[in-house]
Amino acid sequence: MMEFLRANQPVFDFFLLTLGFAYSQQVVLRAGVFSLASAAFSCLGAYGCAYLVVKAGLPVAAGIGLGALIGGLASYLVSLPLARLRGVYQAIATLALVELMVALALYAEPITGGAVGFNNIPKHVGTTELLIAVLVVIYLLHAQSISRIGRGFDALRQDEYVAASLGVSSRREHTLAFISSGLIGGLFGALQSMYAYNVEPNQYGFGYMVTTLAAIVLGGRRSLLGPILGSAIMILLPEVARPLAEYRQIVVGVILMIVVVLTPQGLADTFLAWLQHRRARDLAPMATQPPGGRA
Amino acid sequence: MTVLELREVKRHFGGVKAVDGVSLKVASGQVTGLIGPNGSGKSTLVNLIAGVLAVGEGDITLDGKSLIKLTADEVARCGVARTFQNIRLLPEASVLDNVVIGFYRHERSPLYASLLGLPSSRRETRELREQGRALLARFGLAEYEQVPAGGLAYGYQRRVEMARAVASAPQVLLLDEPVAGMNDVEARSLGQIFAQLAREGMAVLVIEHNTRFVAELCSQVHVLDGGRLIAHGSPQEVMRDPAVVAAYLGG
Amino acid sequence: MLAQQILNGLISGAIYALFALGFNLIFGVQKVLNLAHGAIFMSGAFIAYYGVIGGLPLGLALLIAMVSCGCVSVLLDRFGFQLLRKYSHADAEFGAMVISIGAGQVLTSLAQKASDTKVLSFPFGTFPVEFFRGLGLRISLLQITIALLVVVLVALLAYFLQRTSFGRQVRAVAINPRASALLGINSRSVFSITFFIAGAMAAIAGVMIALSFNSIQFMMGEPYMLKAFVVVVLGGLGNLAGAVVASLLLGVAQAMAAAYLPPGMADILIFATLFVVLIFKPNGLFGGGLAPAGVGRQ
Repeated sequence: MMEFLRANQPVFDFFLLTLGFAYSQQVVLRAGVFSLASAAFSCLGAYGCAYLVVKAGLPVAAGIGLGALIGGLASYLVSLPLARLRGVYQAIATLALVELMVALALYAEPITGGAVGFNNIPKHVGTTELLIAVLVVIYLLHAQSISRIGRGFDALRQDEYVAASLGVSSRREHTLAFISSGLIGGLFGALQSMYAYNVEPNQYGFGYMVTTLAAIVLGGRRSLLGPILGSAIMILLPEVARPLAEYRQIVVGVILMIVVVLTPQGLADTFLAWLQHRRARDLAPMATQPPGGRA
Repeated sequence: MTVLELREVKRHFGGVKAVDGVSLKVASGQVTGLIGPNGSGKSTLVNLIAGVLAVGEGDITLDGKSLIKLTADEVARCGVARTFQNIRLLPEASVLDNVVIGFYRHERSPLYASLLGLPSSRRETRELREQGRALLARFGLAEYEQVPAGGLAYGYQRRVEMARAVASAPQVLLLDEPVAGMNDVEARSLGQIFAQLAREGMAVLVIEHNTRFVAELCSQVHVLDGGRLIAHGSPQEVMRDPAVVAAYLGG
Repeated sequence: MLAQQILNGLISGAIYALFALGFNLIFGVQKVLNLAHGAIFMSGAFIAYYGVIGGLPLGLALLIAMVSCGCVSVLLDRFGFQLLRKYSHADAEFGAMVISIGAGQVLTSLAQKASDTKVLSFPFGTFPVEFFRGLGLRISLLQITIALLVVVLVALLAYFLQRTSFGRQVRAVAINPRASALLGINSRSVFSITFFIAGAMAAIAGVMIALSFNSIQFMMGEPYMLKAFVVVVLGGLGNLAGAVVASLLLGVAQAMAAAYLPPGMADILIFATLFVVLIFKPNGLFGGGLAPAGVGRQ
């Protein structure tokens, strides 16, 4: 048993990191913000932490904390101009930000190591730290979702006009969502830099976006269970389907397309909604008939 | 005593004068009606008050405070609730959740308590859900608490929207065609709720097509045609007014 | 020297235009971001390559590439975007993006497998290498061919959209899909045609780039995808003429940046510009099209 766990530890670690990035991406989508920028916040967290710990000699915990804060600050700054945009315009703007960050990381060689990356980072973070981080993030996101903030997010995501008519300020809630995304993204970027021995720019580009989006698409934009399910599928797929391992990318692409067409809300969310529906139908079978007959 | 006042409110869209100098008052303690033929500008007026559309000229005040520069969510936080002509519920959320979101502007938990999941925040959430249940019972929706709002019949959806508007404990309630498509039984029971709310101190404005409903319910009625008010007074006076008859029968 | 940079920039701008027009056409008509467009562009280059390797003349290989990519594009529409139309607007928007990313992944991976992750080159002699000099400038036969081809294609597209009845249908659907349906316009065939045209143009652009740099690799579509964003936003999403102008501007700006600025700086400036333009002029430098604002009073 211990042998099995030890042998699969790297897979589990990778799952935890992917999960963290997925949560960072999900929290903005949950609030109805069409942002793909969490890659940029993770990039900042990773490089920031690596620099502070390796070059500036700060203790690891401080580096990780500051990495998260850098992500949070960047996301706050970015939320201000992005508040004016919606839909595809917001999406493109955030894509631009991600590419901008990658371009900056490639360019700023003295600090980041350029295309070669920031190498030879001593490994300070292992499974325990990652697990703790994930559990803390899950707790905080859960607290958020059952509170006034979560209610505001859900309302904004489903119908911005209704939300406004009830006093929900999209500016305030979207800013909160961005900051949450930045803090979580920065945190896990920092953790990754302390785990994986090196940081390089393309880790936080298109590939990051595809993986996290896949996890969210498979799992769901709304429930906390979604990214867990989605990340698990993304990580387990190449392990389970060894013979298909060569074609992993193709299989991922095809699965993404099929899942999003059949269950656009994600597997976990659709399942949870179906459960709720079934319970409701059992309780109120007459819900489709108005009193006094039809008008 | 709450008063929502419109003073010479105008809004044009290009060449179309959707609202062309409307002045009226909606006071608490009574139900005020606004009727008019299709295209007379009723919905535009609601959207102007609620903060969705920009006011061209004139002023809209709530107890003296001007609303015209406020955004929709700011207007809502001042205590103006509205329903929508095409029912707009949160489709994925349950009936209870739809009503609980109505309490949003009254929630007292500070940000840090919500973020950290402190007991005070959790307690408030529990209390709100209880209050939500009580409200659902008042509107006869108790057994549909968990049903996803998108799955309810039309009449029930209207009630959920009403419960949600009432949950926000507004000073002013704007009802945009609240009984459209309902039979007399449903309409009357909903009307009783509006009357009760008015007696409890709300300023209620009902915008409707169903003139009989308005006549039975409202103490004051305004008639809109082509963006201008052509009559106002008690329902009896207004229904006998030749200009009103002409507006409904003519062009 | 400056004039030479501008000339080179205009040529590469012309290729961007071909790529961006297809992307913009899809957006204008369907209001979706087809993120697989870059992969289709790359596929065009690959198909033409295998055609030439297999002994076909370049022109025929190009034609096959155009038709194949057009068809792949249509398939993506029929079995992807169309199936999402029944969902709510937010779900459909998000879903469309994800589907196109997925399709792009599939195409890219297939290409990676086929090419064994190597960079391919057209065999020597595929396109005659000749240069002309005049007015102190140097221009290759390839560049002239590209310029002519793009001018002809853009003119054909403009003619198609403005003068033919089908083109009018395309424009009608772009402006108001519901009204068009009421008028009896078959929006499904309109969508298919626009996807076909977009795919075919992307294929041509792919072959041109492959010939210009004589390199074909499975990731070659990605940077063009990003440049396409810049172009369509600057020119205005859905604004075809604007896309052409913005493409030429971008081509020239890139050529100048490559010549006068340190490497890597060009990309930074381009993406920063994109971000700034989106914030202040989401409708592009020339306006046109609508960007939904927040919930401020309308």
